[in-house]
Amino acid sequence: MANEKLLEGQVALVTGAGRNIGKGVAKLMAEHGASIVVNDLGVALDGSDPSGGPADETVAEIGEGGGEAVANHDSVADPDGAERMVQAALDTFGRLDILVNPAGILRDRMVFNMSLEEWDSVIAVHLKGHFNLISRVSRVMREQRSGRIITFSSTSGIWGNSGQANYGAAKDGIAGLTRVVARDLGQYGVTCNAIVPSAETRMTQSVPDSARALRAQMGIAAASAVAPKHLARPAEAIAPVTVWLASNEAAHVNGQLFYVSGGLVSLVSQPTPGRTVTKPGDKRWTIEEIAAIFPATLGMDMHNPAPAPTE
Amino acid sequence: MTDTLAGKTAIVTGAGRGIGAGVAQLLASEGAAVVVNDLGVDLDGSSATQQHADDTVELIAAAGGRAIASYADVTSFDAGAGLVQQAIDAFGGLDIVVTCHGILRDRMIFNMTDEEWDAVIAVHLSGTFHVVRHAAGHMREQRTGRIITFSSTTGLVGNPGQANYGAAKSGIGGLTKVVARDLGRYGVTCNSIVPVAATRMTTSVSDEARAKRAERGIARSTEGASGARFDPDDVAPMVGYLASDFASNVNGQFFYVYGKSISVMSQPRLERTIVKTEGFHSVDELRTLFPERVTGQLVNPAPEREA
Repeated sequence: MANEKLLEGQVALVTGAGRNIGKGVAKLMAEHGASIVVNDLGVALDGSDPSGGPADETVAEIGEGGGEAVANHDSVADPDGAERMVQAALDTFGRLDILVNPAGILRDRMVFNMSLEEWDSVIAVHLKGHFNLISRVSRVMREQRSGRIITFSSTSGIWGNSGQANYGAAKDGIAGLTRVVARDLGQYGVTCNAIVPSAETRMTQSVPDSARALRAQMGIAAASAVAPKHLARPAEAIAPVTVWLASNEAAHVNGQLFYVSGGLVSLVSQPTPGRTVTKPGDKRWTIEEIAAIFPATLGMDMHNPAPAPTE
Repeated sequence: MTDTLAGKTAIVTGAGRGIGAGVAQLLASEGAAVVVNDLGVDLDGSSATQQHADDTVELIAAAGGRAIASYADVTSFDAGAGLVQQAIDAFGGLDIVVTCHGILRDRMIFNMTDEEWDAVIAVHLSGTFHVVRHAAGHMREQRTGRIITFSSTTGLVGNPGQANYGAAKSGIGGLTKVVARDLGRYGVTCNSIVPVAATRMTTSVSDEARAKRAERGIARSTEGASGARFDPDDVAPMVGYLASDFASNVNGQFFYVYGKSISVMSQPRLERTIVKTEGFHSVDELRTLFPERVTGQLVNPAPEREA
C-alpha cells in the first residue's frame, strides 16, 4: 500500500485494463484512492473473440484490495462505446478526472503486403480510439477545469520498427494528438502526456524471435534497441509513472512523452530543427547545389536505418 | 531543363496547386515524367474539379516536360493501386512518389466532431498509406525507388485547434519511419518534408485565431517562422534532391524546409533519464526523483488561465 494516496476522491477511466499495462495502472490507481472504470473488450491480440472476463477479473481484484471499480466491455474504436465509458464514470462515481488509454491490437505485416483491413483496424483501435475518448472526456474536464489525459504511444512510432506501418503510424499519430490536445486544454487546467512503454506483454511477445534475428542479421535497427537489454521490463513498471502524471504534483507537465522500460524512465526529446543550410539571395536551390553541400552539412552523422546490401 | 531525373517516372499527389504543383513542375523540369494527381477539391474536401490537375499538366507541357493528369481520390485503397498502375501504363515504370495532398478541418478538441476527425485522417494518413503501399510493392520488385511524404510542424511540435491534422501528420511521420525500415534493404528510401509555406492551407488560419493564441500565451508550433513569408515553390528543390540518385542512402529522415533554408529535424532521443537497476521506481521514489531530475524545468505550452 502506498505511503500517501495521490488520487484520493478521483475517478479514472483505464482502457485495456483487463491485462498487462492497463491492469497494472488500474490496480495502482485504485490503491492510490481512485475509483476506476475498468474497460476491456477482452479480445485476442488481433482484435477477435471478445469476452468480458479480463475486465471483470481486474474489477474483482481491485475490490479484494478494498478499492472501487466497475467494468465496461465496449470497444474504444466505437464512438458510442467511448460515450458509454465516460457515462459509466459519471453515472457510477459522479465525475471523471483521469483517462488512461493503453488499449490496443497488433496486425504486423511488411508495408508492401499490408491489406486495407490490417491498416484500418489498427488505425481504428489505436488512433481513432484515442480520439473517441479524448474528445469526449475533454468536454467533461474542460467544464470542471481540471483533468489528466495519459495516452499511449510506442517506440514503433517514435523511432520506427520494420513490419509495423499501421501500428507505427497510429502510435506516432497519438504522439501528435497528445501535443495538440496539450495545447487545446492546458489553459483549462487539463494536461495531456504520453507514455512510450517498453514492456514484456502479449503484444511484444507476439513478435517471434525469428523476426528479431532476421532484422538484426539484415542490419535493420529495431526500435526497442534504446533500452538496456539486461533490465527486466515487467508491465507493472508502467503504472507508477502513470499514477504520478495523473496526480496534482504533475500539474505543469503537459504535452510531453515519457519512455518507460522497467527501472529506466526518461523524458523523450521533442523533434526540433537541427543543422540548417540557407542559400543567400533570392534564387532557389538547385538539386546539384543541395547534393554538393549535403554530405558535410545536413547529412553529417546521418545513417540509413536499413541499408541495401552491398552487391 | 536539366536532367538529374531523366528517364524516371513520378507520381505527385495534390499537384494541382500549392506545394504539389511546384514539386510536379520541378520534377518534370529535371526530366521526370509526372502523373499529376489532384482531386481538385476545396480546402475542406468539397466540390471536386479536374481543372487544377489539368492546369499543372499544361504548365509542364508548355515548358517542354511530360505529364498526365489523375483525378483519383486517394482516400480509396483501390484508387491508390489505380494511380500506381496509371504511372506504369503511361510511362513504363514508377520511381518516385511524392504525397502533398491534404485538407483541413480545424476545431478545438472539445468541439471536434467524429466526421471532422475521420475526414482529415482519411485524406492525409490513410491517403498517404494507400499510395505508398501500392508503390512499395512495385519499388521492391525493381530494387529502387524514392518515397517522399509530407508531415507538418503541427504534428511534430503541436498547434492548438488541429488535433485531427496534427495526429494525421505525426502519423505520416511514423509511417515514414517504418516504411524506411521495411524498404531500405530493397534500395528504396522514404523521407519526409516538414514544410512552412504560404498556401491555401496556412492562409485559412484567421488572423483572429493567431491573435487569440498569442494573447493566451499558447505556444505556436513554428518557432516564429511565419508561413506567410515563404513561397511554396521553395519546397520543391529538396524534394527533387531526395528523389534523385544523389540521395540513395538518405532514408527515414525529416527535413524542415522554409524559404531558402533547409534543416534536418532531430530524431527523438532519451534526455533526462533516471535508472534503477533492480525492479522499477515506486510512486514515492518518483515523487522525489521526477521533479528533481526529469520534469523540473519543463514549461507548460498552454498554462492554465484564471477562469
